Amino acid sequence: MMNLLNYKTIILIVFAAILSLASSCEKVPKQATQPTTGKLQLNFDFYNEADPMEWGNNKYTNAAGNEYSAYYVKFFITRLTIFKGGETTVLNQFHNSHYVSTAVATTLQWTIADEIENGSYDSLSFTFGFNDEDNVSFMFANQPEVNMLWPEELGGGYHAMQLDGKWRLANDTLTGFNFHLGPGQFYDTSGDITGFIDNSFVVSIPSSDFEISTGSTTNLILRMHVDKWFTSPIVYDHNTYGGSIMATQDAMEKVVMNGHDVFSIVK
Amino acid sequence: MRINNLVKAILFMSISLLLMSTSCEKDPEPDPIHEPTPYSFVIPKGFPTNFIIPEDNPMTVEGIKLGRYLYYDDRMSGKADEGMPMSCSSCHKQEFAFENGVGKGTGTTGEQTDNVMLPHINLLWNPGAYLWNGSVASIEEDVVGTVYAHNEFASTPEKVVAAISAVDMYPPLFEAAFGTPQITMDRIAKAISQFIRTQISFNSKFDQKQRGEYQYSDAEERGLVLFQTEEGADCFHCHGSVGNPLFTTHLFYNNAKDDNFEGENDRYSVTGNVIDKGAYKATTLRNIELTGPYMHDGRFTTLDQVIDFYSEGLVYSEYAHPLMEKLRPPYGIGAELNPGEKADLKAFLLTLTDYDFIDENNELSNPFK
Repeated sequence: MMNLLNYKTIILIVFAAILSLASSCEKVPKQATQPTTGKLQLNFDFYNEADPMEWGNNKYTNAAGNEYSAYYVKFFITRLTIFKGGETTVLNQFHNSHYVSTAVATTLQWTIADEIENGSYDSLSFTFGFNDEDNVSFMFANQPEVNMLWPEELGGGYHAMQLDGKWRLANDTLTGFNFHLGPGQFYDTSGDITGFIDNSFVVSIPSSDFEISTGSTTNLILRMHVDKWFTSPIVYDHNTYGGSIMATQDAMEKVVMNGHDVFSIVK
Repeated sequence: MRINNLVKAILFMSISLLLMSTSCEKDPEPDPIHEPTPYSFVIPKGFPTNFIIPEDNPMTVEGIKLGRYLYYDDRMSGKADEGMPMSCSSCHKQEFAFENGVGKGTGTTGEQTDNVMLPHINLLWNPGAYLWNGSVASIEEDVVGTVYAHNEFASTPEKVVAAISAVDMYPPLFEAAFGTPQITMDRIAKAISQFIRTQISFNSKFDQKQRGEYQYSDAEERGLVLFQTEEGADCFHCHGSVGNPLFTTHLFYNNAKDDNFEGENDRYSVTGNVIDKGAYKATTLRNIELTGPYMHDGRFTTLDQVIDFYSEGLVYSEYAHPLMEKLRPPYGIGAELNPGEKADLKAFLLTLTDYDFIDENNELSNPFK
């Protein structure tokens, strides 16, 4: 009898101890680290002068007086970088690039994977297209990115941009323009390619300061002003450069020059 | 004594609980009726790593086996007893890379299809816009649509199911593929779709070149350059090229064949977007040597005619896709290739033929033979 009682007492004590421990575990205040980061989402939209761009048959007139329409634009931005005081942070380093197509709605909202330290940021920048180092042929296996390949013969890798549409010729017919950007070429006098030119460029966006708040996502609109591709500092005339420019560095050079102020941030 | 009883009671309950717990663990699960074997495959080098397999139709060894039989079984029309046998393989013949080799298909009633057949090649990677105008979202949907279509089977699922159910070999095959021998239109479509997703072409000279197993001739090499440069024939913007071994962007283009698109069964008929007028899918160029007649209406019977068309036969309309930029002056009405360039371009196109794909002894062939 006494043995059984002792045994029971021991069991009860053990249970009580376990329960106590369990309760005490629950009651221990967590040393929770306060999150200090938030997210950044870029939402892409497209304007022609003061109005949203209408893709398709809507007619515009560019600075050179060309009546034109645009079907779509597809492009890559890479090396997205944010600036805060003297600090520079390159985001999205795992993927490096983001593909945007006005024909693929899912590409028009981009939540960057990085957790970003909260605070006030001065500006952001990115590379339009892939620079020489990043423009690795065949690095994409899947569509739609793979459809942006740039022929090896012309420098390889991928298009930075395909802006395709039509303009009206003097004879009142419509014809296609393929406003494409990618590696350019040096040619010798016999027309043979002797080297390639990196046509990617860094876009530093003025007035692109933004806040990152703890635990929330900051939404910014990254706006492409389509008309500006043809406007400043070079008035780009389709009649001068023709419909296809992938092998015409003289034309692609103008695209690069005009591209620096094509984007703005809308908060 | 009271305490003693309490302790006994606790011990009894504990032992009972322990036994219950043990007995639960040992309780045998009912045997699964039948678990089909998951099908695994290796993605060919350079091919996309994203592919389309519906969640409700995973590929299995048994499902593919069943689908292969159904694909080739003329009783699939459900009208064999009416003297109108037909199967997928009636219009998708292996010798023509699973196209029909003659152009438009002819259904059980003798009616012709609106457009020529499209080959069953690498549809595993089709992102979900099937047929020439992209009006069908899945292979499964296409199979069912074929049963109903007045210019294809012109039948009903009930007839098809009845016809297949009457064949002794099928209930065990359905049981192996789906767990029970029940035959339904849904299961038929799923099995055939699984088989179609195995129709992968990846061993042409082009592929061998990519793997370092073949060296292009000078003509083939020159043809490739023409294929993928704007100054050349500029095929690659719509059809892909090195780096896009599917040889299609899966997108839709008006490729400047015509200037009148009224009543067309084109992409516009699906989207209602005016820029899609006269637009049809840029089909894969894999096995293009085998898949004529060409274009959605089969107007060209030879590759030479196709090359001539893109060289000097483009037709102006305001709906031609911008990528058909060679419509404009001073280039005139096409790429304006000289005879040597045309021969080179053709030489490259012929490197896309995959003879292993059409080998009648491979796992894609007719299992009834």
